[in-house]
Amino acid sequence: MKQILITTGIVVALAASAVFAFADLARPKTSPSKEPKTVLYTSMEVSTDAKSYEARLQIPQSVLQQIAREAGNTSSGTSMGQRLMNSSTRTVMAGVFMFLAISFAGVWLARTNQRRTVKAVAAVLAIAFMFGLATVMVRANAGPPASFYWQHLPQNLTQGKPTQAGVHIQIVEADDSTIKLIMPIKKGDKPGE
Amino acid sequence: MPVTRTQGACAPSMERAENISVAAWPRVKSRATTRVSAKTFAAIIVGSALMSAAFASSIPLQASIVTVFLFAGPHNWFELRYFLIRLPVRFGRSRNFFLVAFGGIFGLTLAYVSLPALYYAGVWTGENWTTAIAWWNTALLLWIAALVLMRGRQTSRRDWSWALPVAFVLCAVNWLRPDLFSLAIVYLHPLVALWFLDRHLKRTKPEWVRTYRRCLMFLPLLLAGMLWQLSRTPSLTDDNGLFWRITQHAGAELLPNISSHMLVSTHVFLEMLHYGVWIVALPLIGATGAIWKVNSIPVANHARGFPKLVAGLLVFSLFAVAILWLGFSMNYTATRDIYFTIAIAHVLAEAPFLLRMI
Repeated sequence: MKQILITTGIVVALAASAVFAFADLARPKTSPSKEPKTVLYTSMEVSTDAKSYEARLQIPQSVLQQIAREAGNTSSGTSMGQRLMNSSTRTVMAGVFMFLAISFAGVWLARTNQRRTVKAVAAVLAIAFMFGLATVMVRANAGPPASFYWQHLPQNLTQGKPTQAGVHIQIVEADDSTIKLIMPIKKGDKPGE
Repeated sequence: MPVTRTQGACAPSMERAENISVAAWPRVKSRATTRVSAKTFAAIIVGSALMSAAFASSIPLQASIVTVFLFAGPHNWFELRYFLIRLPVRFGRSRNFFLVAFGGIFGLTLAYVSLPALYYAGVWTGENWTTAIAWWNTALLLWIAALVLMRGRQTSRRDWSWALPVAFVLCAVNWLRPDLFSLAIVYLHPLVALWFLDRHLKRTKPEWVRTYRRCLMFLPLLLAGMLWQLSRTPSLTDDNGLFWRITQHAGAELLPNISSHMLVSTHVFLEMLHYGVWIVALPLIGATGAIWKVNSIPVANHARGFPKLVAGLLVFSLFAVAILWLGFSMNYTATRDIYFTIAIAHVLAEAPFLLRMI
């Protein structure tokens, strides 16, 4: 019974660790051309105002400060998130310590002679595995992409209704000072699809 | 019973000398001098926590400035005195434990202070700052794991070898996000004082332990209420150097999507609890003598103790507190930065002494 529990625990731990194995993901191909740098993902609302004569772009002060900070941090050409994910040293170190943790946990589990402890550890590992599995499944239940909400924009604009969805704020190199808003709407799309 | 100067002629063995730290404040005496009921004790705890939460939530920046100015220095003095009380006269079979403990405190503090010092001296450009912090956090975790293992081996009843895999898991998490790991230490460190109080009560006022633990269950509710109330508040205006530094310390830059008002308030609230435990609760509950009397400290009172050294250390520390207040008065921002860098020593010192009490 003890050996079965130990073996199960090790297998569950290895299976659960697969969730964190981002290190095995293929490295994204880097393009030599200047790509826009995403510095922030936030929500945006497009609304109409019949009393206005000019279009207005309103940015919360905190968001502007954040954009300024993140823009300053992207001197290396990558966003904060990308730099974290692509830090090979840190990923390797995290992997090494995870390996050591699982190894020593296995040794400790095998050496411990208390049946209660073994059961408790097996239960913890099983719960951790369930959480890992649930996390993977929850991704499938994530809300629809922002483009789904933006499909309603033309209809909402004609009806004078506001439309709110996610937006990536990107810093681009351009000759003029025009701020461009690119909406994910296809020509053939009909609202509500 | 502790071996006092009058009993010193008995030439106690190492075992008995080591027991001094355990019975620094004898249970019998402290029980006899109980003046406050458990209900009153609970009312004081809950009342203080509510007042701290209200104060920290309403004026977080001002509360942070005032709290650090008034209590940062004194709480370090009280911690030093408490640790001296818990220090055995002779280390005996705990010699290696204390060697590793003091070596770690010294080495890790030196490394922590040297990073910004080298940067400001122009020796280091600050490049790979995150990696340097990750290495420091790793050293800290492995040091604590070593102490846990050593402490566990002192009693055959304990098997604390689980500490190593847990430390490695934490190391892995640390390497994924060293900055957030450091921020977690900032928030978790104040809570360690509550653990000290729990162990202290178990020895000096065991009849209060149950009440205290029930009060502790109120803390997550209070924190959840604070977070819920403050999550929708706009971020604080950090338009000057000091306010910016306070919001950064609370993690405003690392957690940009969370209101800095909520972050600073939560941090100040936890700091207030921390200071309250060290300055008020621990020195008063179960104390057998005045705080300025050196003879209530076993390592000074024992026949083979060091009364002059202990007295000198405490007086010197009082001067350090006075200098800190002077520094705060002259340049609050710079002194605050220096203090929070050097204060890592007291954060580290808590680990071995807490382990000795478990």
